[in-house]
Amino acid sequence: MGRALLYLEWHSRWNRLRARLQRLRQPKYLFGAVVGGLYFYWYVFGALRGRAGPGRTPPMPALEHPALVESLAALVLLVVLLLMWIIPHERAALLFTEAEVAFLFPAPVGRRALIHFKLLKSQAAILFSALFMTLIGRWGGGNYGLRVIGWWGLLSIINLHLLGSSFARTLLLDRGISNWRRRLFFLGGAGLAAAAVILWARQALPAPPDFSSAPDLSALAGYAGQVFQSGPLPWLLAPFRLAVAPLFAANARQLCLAFGPVLGIIGLHYCWVIRSNVAFEEASVELSQKFADRIAAMRSGNWQAMSKPRKSKRPPFLLRPEGWPAAAIFWKNLISAGQFFTGRAWFFLLWITVIAGIILRSAGRHSGGGAALAILAVTLGVMSLLYGPAILRYDFRQDLRVADVLKLYPMPGWQVVLGEILAPAAILAAAQWALLLLAFLLCPASVGGAPAPMGLRIAATLSAALVLPCVDFIALLLPNAAALIFPAWVQLGKDAPRGFETMGQQLILMFGQIIVLTLSMLPAALAGAVAYLIAWWLFGKVMAVAVVSCALAAVLLLAAEAALGVFLLGKAFERFDWSEDSPE
Amino acid sequence: MEIPPPAIPPSAAPCLIEVSGLTKLYGDFPAVTDLSFSVRAGEVIGLVGPNGAGKTTTLRCLAGIIPPTRGLVQICGHGMGRDPIEAKRRLAFFPDEPRLFDYLTVAQHLTFTARIYNLPHYEETARALLEELEIADKADKLPGELSRGMKQKLAIACGFLHAPSAIFFDEPLTGLDPLGIRRMKDSIVKRAAAGAAILISSHLLHLLEEVCSHVLILKDGRKIIDGTMDEVRGKFSEAASGANLEEVFFRATGENKGP
Repeated sequence: MGRALLYLEWHSRWNRLRARLQRLRQPKYLFGAVVGGLYFYWYVFGALRGRAGPGRTPPMPALEHPALVESLAALVLLVVLLLMWIIPHERAALLFTEAEVAFLFPAPVGRRALIHFKLLKSQAAILFSALFMTLIGRWGGGNYGLRVIGWWGLLSIINLHLLGSSFARTLLLDRGISNWRRRLFFLGGAGLAAAAVILWARQALPAPPDFSSAPDLSALAGYAGQVFQSGPLPWLLAPFRLAVAPLFAANARQLCLAFGPVLGIIGLHYCWVIRSNVAFEEASVELSQKFADRIAAMRSGNWQAMSKPRKSKRPPFLLRPEGWPAAAIFWKNLISAGQFFTGRAWFFLLWITVIAGIILRSAGRHSGGGAALAILAVTLGVMSLLYGPAILRYDFRQDLRVADVLKLYPMPGWQVVLGEILAPAAILAAAQWALLLLAFLLCPASVGGAPAPMGLRIAATLSAALVLPCVDFIALLLPNAAALIFPAWVQLGKDAPRGFETMGQQLILMFGQIIVLTLSMLPAALAGAVAYLIAWWLFGKVMAVAVVSCALAAVLLLAAEAALGVFLLGKAFERFDWSEDSPE
Repeated sequence: MEIPPPAIPPSAAPCLIEVSGLTKLYGDFPAVTDLSFSVRAGEVIGLVGPNGAGKTTTLRCLAGIIPPTRGLVQICGHGMGRDPIEAKRRLAFFPDEPRLFDYLTVAQHLTFTARIYNLPHYEETARALLEELEIADKADKLPGELSRGMKQKLAIACGFLHAPSAIFFDEPLTGLDPLGIRRMKDSIVKRAAAGAAILISSHLLHLLEEVCSHVLILKDGRKIIDGTMDEVRGKFSEAASGANLEEVFFRATGENKGP
C-alpha cells in the first residue's frame, strides 16, 4: 500500500511539474516565468552575491549574544508547542484534498498508511520552508547548507508535534476531558512555571538595572542572560534547546553533534504519532471539504466566504424592477460586499466621524495631536488609492466565474462594466470621504507655518472629494481590464495557476497597472495645472478658487478617461470568451 | 401518467431560432462546423451526440455567451451578432450546473433578474413560479442553504421570469429527484405548448423521446441529421415505428452499443 501512496505522490508532483513546463510553450506563461524567475533570483541569490562579490556566497553574520539567542529560540519553541495544547478545540483531522478523500478513504488503506502518506506529503512543504527560512534569516555564522538541515529538523519536530498533540487532544476529549479543562491544566502549568522563574529571579539575582536610562540593549541582554543560564529556566528549556541547537551550529562537526538529539526527538514524536489510535477520518473529510470551499472562495475573490459562514444580507437599497439595469449589478455587488455597506451604516459612520473629529480637535488643540491625526487621515486616504482596488474585489474579479450568466443579460457591455465597477468605487470613495471629513475637521489653521484659512481648507477638501472617486474608478478599471483581457493571468475560478510564471505574471500586471494609472493621471494633472494658473490670474489670486478650478478641470479629464475606459472594456466584455483560455 | 409528447406544430408557426453556418473554432480545433437548423414556435428539439460532439458549445453560441467564429444566429428575428440585446431579451439558457450568486437570497435573485430584464410587474409571476417549482418557502434562503435540485429550480425561476420565447437547456435533469424530473418534463411541454421554441441537450435519450418533437444529432461538431422523431427513425431504422432513439443514436453516430 505504501508503494501505491508513493506512486500517487510522486506522479502527482511530476505531472504538475510537467504541466507547468508544457504551459511555458504559451508566451504569456513563458514571459511570466522569465520575469518571476529573475525576480526570485534577484531577491534571493542576487542579494546574497551582491554582498559577497561575484561568484561568492557571503558568510552569515555572527551573533552578538549567541547563548541568549539560542535560549530565546528555545523559549519561542516552548511557547509554540504549548499553544498547540491550548488554542485548538477541534478533533484531530488530517488535511487531504477532496480527490485523496474520495480515493483513499474508501480504499483498503490503513490509518497508519494514511498518516505516513500525510507525513510524506508534508516533507515537501517542510523542505521549502527550511530553504525559505534559511534565506530570510541570515544570522549566526555557519553556512547555508547546515542551516537548511537545522531548520528541517526543527520544522519536522513542530509538524510531528502538531499532529501528535491533535491526536492526544482527541483522546482526551474521548475520555471526557473537555477543552476547557485541558486548557486550564496547560495554562496553569505554564503560569506556575513562569511564576517560579520570576520568583527565583527576584530572590536569587541582583535587581535588574534601569533599562530606560541605558544607552543600548547590552544591560538588558546581560540580565536576560543571567535569567536564562541559572535557576529553573535552563532545566525547563533543556529539551527545546536540544531541538533548536542545530540552527546555531557553526560547522559540520557541531551540526553532527547537535543533530543526534534532534533525530532522537523526531523518532520519539514519530512513535507517538504512529501509535496514537485515534479516528480522524470523519473530521478529516469535513476539514478537506471546508478547505476546498475556502480555496474556491478565495480564488474567486469572495474573501468573505473564507472567514465566516454566510448569512443573508440586508440589501443596501430597495431595487425597483424598472430602470437602468446596471444598477442591479451595483446593488448585487454591494450585497456581496457585506452588511456594513448599507446607507444606514454609512450614515452612522458619518456621524461618528463628525463627532470624533470635533472631540479630537478640541482635545488636541494645544498638543498638536489633531494635526497629527489629520495627517494620518490624509495618509490613509492616499494609501487607500493604492491598496483599495486590490482589496475591494466586488467586481469582475469576483463575477467572472459566473461570466456565462453575465453574458446572457440583455445589456450592452459598457453597462455591465459600469455596474460591476460601481460597487467597489462607491465603497472606496465613501471611506475616503470619511477620512477627508476627519482631516478637514482636524486640520489646524496653519500648516507647517503657512496659514490655512477656512476657505482654503473647504476648497481643498471639496476638490479632493471630487477628484478621488474619479481616480478610484480608473484605478479599479485597470485590474478589471486585466481580468477581462488576460483572464489566465488573474486569479479567477477554481483552478488558478501557481508557480514562478504566475508570480511573474502578477508582477507584470502590477507594474503595468501602476504605469497605466500614472499615465492616465498625467493629462488630468496637466489640465488641472493650466486651470489653476488661469483661475489664479482671473480671480485675483484667490487660492481657494484656483484649487477648485484645478480640481474641476482634472475631474473633467478623469471622467472622460473613465468613460472611454468603460466603453472600451465593455467592448472587451462583449468579445470576452473564457473558453478560449480554458476550452471545455 | 405518461406525458403526451408535444404535437408537431404547423409549418406556418414562426421560426424563433434560426442557425445558419454556425462554426466555432478553439484555436485550430473545430468544436462546431457549419451547423444550420431552425426551431419553430412550439417545437422541442433534442440535441444529442457523443461527448465532445459540440452540444454545449452550440448552446453557448446560440445563447450569446461565446461568439461564434462564423455563421449567423437569430432569436425571434433578432441577429445575435447585430442586435444581441434584443435577442437576449427573448431567450433563456439553463446550463447543466446552476450558476447563482452565493450572496443573494432566492427572493433577491428574482428582484435582480426583474431589474435586468426591466419587468415592472414581476412579483405575481415570481410568486407563481416559486409556487410551481415548490420553493416559495425558501425565499429568504441563500443558494448555499439549498440542495442542488432547489438551486436548479431557482435558476429555472429566474430564467422563466421574463417569459422567454427561445429556451435552451443543457442537461436539464441533472441532480433532480424523480418528482423534479416529472415536473421539469411537464414544464418543458407546457412552455412549448405556450409557443416557446425549445432546444434541449441531453444524454438521457428516453427523456428526449418523451418531450421532443424533433431531434438533431451531432458528431465531431457536425450535424448528422435533424428532423422530426419519425423522420430520423425512418432514416436510421429498418422498422421506423419500432426503433427507439437509443437505437437510432447508435446507428447515426456509428458508436458501438456494446454487449
